[in-house]
Amino acid sequence: MLDVITLFLFNIVIYSIPLLYATCGEIMVEKSGSLNLGVEGTMAIGAVFGFLAGCKADSLLVGVLVSFVVSAVVGSIFSLFTITLQANQNVTGLTITTIGVAVYFFVGNALGANWPYLRDCVRLNKSFSQIELPGLSRIPVIGKAFFSHNILVYAAVVIAILIWVYFEKTSTGLKLRAIGENPGAADSLGIDIVRYKYLHIMFGSGIMGIGGLYMGLNMGGTFEGSNCWINGYGWIAIALVIFANWSTTHAIIGTFVFGFFNTLRVYNMPLATAFPNSLGWLSKIPAQFFSALPFIVTLLVLIISSIRSKKTGGSNSPTAIGVNYYREDR
Amino acid sequence: MNRFHLIRRSDVSIWKKLLYYLIGIVFSLLLGGVFLKSLGINPLRYYRDMATIGLIGNYYPAKSVEGLLKLFVPLLITSLALSLSFKMRFWNIGGEGEFITGAIFAAIVAFKLGDSLPGPVVILLMCIAAFISAGVIGFLTAHLRVRFNTNETLVTLMINYIMLYIIKYIGETKADWNFFLRTDSERPMFAKFPDAAIMKGIKIGSFNLLYSVIIALLIAVVVYIYLRSTKHGYEVAVVGDSVNTAKYSGINVYFITVRTVFLSAAMIGLAGAFTAASSGTISTDITNNVGWTGVIVAWLSKLSTPVICIVSLLISVLQYGCQAASASYSQIDHNFADLMQGIFLFAILAADFAVNFKVVRTGSKKDA
Amino acid sequence: MAEADYAIELRDISKSFGSVAANKNINLNLKKGEILALLGENGSGKTTLMNMLSGIYTPDSGSIFIDGEEVVISSPDDAGKHGIGMVHQHFKLVERFTAADNIWIGKKDSGFFLKKNRYKEIEDIASRFGFDIEPAKKVANMSVSEKQTLEIVKVLCYGAKVIILDEPTAVLTIQETQKLFDVCRRMKESGHSIIIITHKLNEVMEISDRVAVLRKGEYVGTVETSATNEMELTELMVGRKVDLKINRSVMEKTKPLLEVRDLCVNSDEGSLAVDNMSFYIRGGEILGVAGIAGSGQKELCEAVVGLRKAKSGKIIHKGQNVIGKNPKEISALGIAMSFIPEDRLGMGLAPSLSVADNIILKDYSDTKGPLVDRKRARKEASDIVKMLDIVTPSVDTPVRRLSGGNVQKVLLGREIKSDPNVLITAYPVRGLDINSSYMIYDILNEQKQKGVGVLFIGEDLDVMIALCDKIMVMCHGKLQGVVHASKTSKEELGLMMTGAISLADVGGKKAGIAKDSAFTEEEWEEAADLGDIREGDS
Repeated sequence: MLDVITLFLFNIVIYSIPLLYATCGEIMVEKSGSLNLGVEGTMAIGAVFGFLAGCKADSLLVGVLVSFVVSAVVGSIFSLFTITLQANQNVTGLTITTIGVAVYFFVGNALGANWPYLRDCVRLNKSFSQIELPGLSRIPVIGKAFFSHNILVYAAVVIAILIWVYFEKTSTGLKLRAIGENPGAADSLGIDIVRYKYLHIMFGSGIMGIGGLYMGLNMGGTFEGSNCWINGYGWIAIALVIFANWSTTHAIIGTFVFGFFNTLRVYNMPLATAFPNSLGWLSKIPAQFFSALPFIVTLLVLIISSIRSKKTGGSNSPTAIGVNYYREDR
Repeated sequence: MNRFHLIRRSDVSIWKKLLYYLIGIVFSLLLGGVFLKSLGINPLRYYRDMATIGLIGNYYPAKSVEGLLKLFVPLLITSLALSLSFKMRFWNIGGEGEFITGAIFAAIVAFKLGDSLPGPVVILLMCIAAFISAGVIGFLTAHLRVRFNTNETLVTLMINYIMLYIIKYIGETKADWNFFLRTDSERPMFAKFPDAAIMKGIKIGSFNLLYSVIIALLIAVVVYIYLRSTKHGYEVAVVGDSVNTAKYSGINVYFITVRTVFLSAAMIGLAGAFTAASSGTISTDITNNVGWTGVIVAWLSKLSTPVICIVSLLISVLQYGCQAASASYSQIDHNFADLMQGIFLFAILAADFAVNFKVVRTGSKKDA
Repeated sequence: MAEADYAIELRDISKSFGSVAANKNINLNLKKGEILALLGENGSGKTTLMNMLSGIYTPDSGSIFIDGEEVVISSPDDAGKHGIGMVHQHFKLVERFTAADNIWIGKKDSGFFLKKNRYKEIEDIASRFGFDIEPAKKVANMSVSEKQTLEIVKVLCYGAKVIILDEPTAVLTIQETQKLFDVCRRMKESGHSIIIITHKLNEVMEISDRVAVLRKGEYVGTVETSATNEMELTELMVGRKVDLKINRSVMEKTKPLLEVRDLCVNSDEGSLAVDNMSFYIRGGEILGVAGIAGSGQKELCEAVVGLRKAKSGKIIHKGQNVIGKNPKEISALGIAMSFIPEDRLGMGLAPSLSVADNIILKDYSDTKGPLVDRKRARKEASDIVKMLDIVTPSVDTPVRRLSGGNVQKVLLGREIKSDPNVLITAYPVRGLDINSSYMIYDILNEQKQKGVGVLFIGEDLDVMIALCDKIMVMCHGKLQGVVHASKTSKEELGLMMTGAISLADVGGKKAGIAKDSAFTEEEWEEAADLGDIREGDS
């Protein structure tokens, strides 16, 4: 029975981590004042190129680096259009998603029979496998669930905390937040807005790409012609940013909650069987409900927080989000 | 010093504008050509096959045109509908969800009343049900936006996914109550509509011109007049241009926003009903991404109604052409159409920049 | 002459926005350690010029010298490096940050990690310059003058040698203004050079060493303050000797058209913006409203025409209570309002729509049928264009393309077209040159002669004294009194505006109550009930 719980918790982590990468990346982008709806496409591109490069080089590090760089390039395209060319952010983001997913299929299909498999990449596979944290992993139940994961899981949590430190404890982080709040003010202080936005959007997009790669590896790297690995996770990440109230540390909890919903979808039966008396009702709830739950919860969070902030000004949403900055606008 | 800065301008002549956009389109085709070439496909031949949507050398050209129109009708209506909200700077990106809502409610009417009422009545009721149900979603998002300043982009986005999982639930759950599914199949499968609930058309030889095509074109005309000449359209333009001005002139911004977004969403629901009625059933991928593509079409067209008609036809040709062409080119599938759509849009966005801004060297001096 | 005597020298600076030239070949210099006032009417290009010094805008042509050396300022960063700091009229502060953090983000040596003691550090720097700030206070919770102080501390912290203040007194009370001037003098003593942008002559005379004058985007000249007087400066500013003899015709006065009693209105933030105001307008008179910007003028206008809920009180138009009516109904009664906001567009006009479409904005719905009557719109528009001499390529041109004066004429023209009996007009000459302003005054006088009651909310006291029959003064939403324009002086008005004196309640007689009110006192009581009912159901 405890095994069921351990397995359940273990899988929550597996499902949350790509979301954590994507959410942290999007928080970084949004803190700079840009709403990037291209998360899904950015992740897809990062996933497919990172996976191919990782397999080719048979190294996880190469895979991670390539997905980071390729996605950062996608981020630079978003920046080019929204910052330099002053194009609408919503439209640019949607287009990135369209193109990103299309490129994913384009590359995937083009390879056809030559598609590499994860099991053939021994070293990549090995470094992606579980690492038991000494001591911690021996704690009953949660040890196996939380401290026996691959390196990308730990890295995600570390990145989330580092980004939080960056925003809250460093001068550059403070400047970035100022840009997202009031670009005019930041500009008048001599902060190089364009450079800051480009760099942070690229960095944030790069992190999304790693999340995409993680999803690909999770799926065992098998490419299907009809289903994209990312499968809507990019959109959930955008929802999670709101749920986490633009804080990467909250995002750790937020992704865990969303991962919980996702795991329930898959593991509601084992749980119901293991605890027929207390959790038997789980088997009656349709899987689609659990899939929709993240979106329902976010919708409610959105509505409640906007009603509340109308009264108190409570949400942490960057004030200037979604609005392009053009210095000479009068 | 060799730095540059931007100056807004509004003095570009119409010919120059067209030239910029033309350059953008040519550039996109070239870029697409590079992709094709990299797969060993002759771009010119591919483009020709795509543009002719497989008509050449086809024994049943009428079928191709019908297939094309099946893509065109929902895309046209959705893009028109979205342009209505976008004109008011209301970011309704909930086309997918509204489309599904319309389709589901149309299907309910089809299954419940399809056997007992005459055809035209059933179709009409399906349309009304779809129109109202999707419109309600639009009403709610608009209400939240005007009353509480809730971000409508994100709300409509969430609703897209919620509706997607609702239709998946309907489509994947075998149960006594579930009248959407076939009873004679073990696997859950959507049932076919009763005959009365299937969209009819005018036979022209072997070609079946569905009424939905005619209605869609009529809708385009109506939207054109609505935005251009009616008081409603005038109000939309004022609210979209300046909410404060609208308030100061006594225009009820709440009412106008809610009414317009209701119409916008309701029309997308109608597109859902048309699609369901013409294919005689619904499916979990009934939208064919039309909610997203509609955004791209509306933006590519600069929200101009006549241009939307042309662009949505071109995009339909692109999509159908890619599907048709993928039969002869195994390396490539219909996703190439998405890729090209995106590239086109980027090229147009870049051309927009050239139209609206001028780049000037900083610190340059006038010739004294 | 050693050029290095000048902290800043501008030569032949030009800048245009689209087809509008904001600055034309401007030459200007600033001596080290002086306070230079930059004087000019609204729209004369003062702020644009200074924005080029601070790197917000980039000049189209011309050169800038700092300490005798030519420089290119293409970003605020460049400006900061050259020791130029600007306090903008609309503060550039991050509302959600603390005072210290707002300064910290612009510091060059702030280090990578935020120092724990940065609050203390900022407080120390501020006190070194003689300022007292609360470093941990969020900007959102600050008063206007606190925010301004923070802005000044900010530019000082960054080591600015030249400080530009853009209309710093517009939002300050008289005491706060004095405090600001003390600060300026202190900064001058410590070797800073200061440019103050203003259009208030008395302040120029009080604080500046020299005055540079701009007119319609052109440089007029610089004079020593000690060698000039307000009359001469006015002349320089407006271009010709102005005798503010605006024709004030005497009209047969009718009974009160619009009576307001005990009106209270909230601001957007929920504070009381209009506090228990009573006044009335007769037909055939112009009632001026004087007051420092933001004293409740906007809220008052909005309440009268139904755009803002009145909290309590009564508004009676020709014996009929208008509270609770919607804007359309009120406009149908013949109460018209035009409000020119600071950006001049955005309240009353839709910039992307054509002149014709803007003309019909308030009555497009009066025609039968679902269609907009564009034929009528074009006709009415071309009538107004002809009548008011509006310069526009055609009536189909978007309003955005018109120049400021013409935009305002379109707006006023539309209001007059509806044949109102009460015309409320707020800042109608905002940003206009003197000739266009006179056009507008003439239009208002014509309306008055037609028997319209005009409520004129203005900025320039000289104009108000010349144009209006009576002037009522507001201060912090309160009525300070109503005076006859022919019997008052600028000084008296100025004192009332700042709240120094109040004539609202002289000898037990409350100001703003008409002797020949359309209502008897009992009827007012009844109307009060109406107001209460409405309050209850709102």
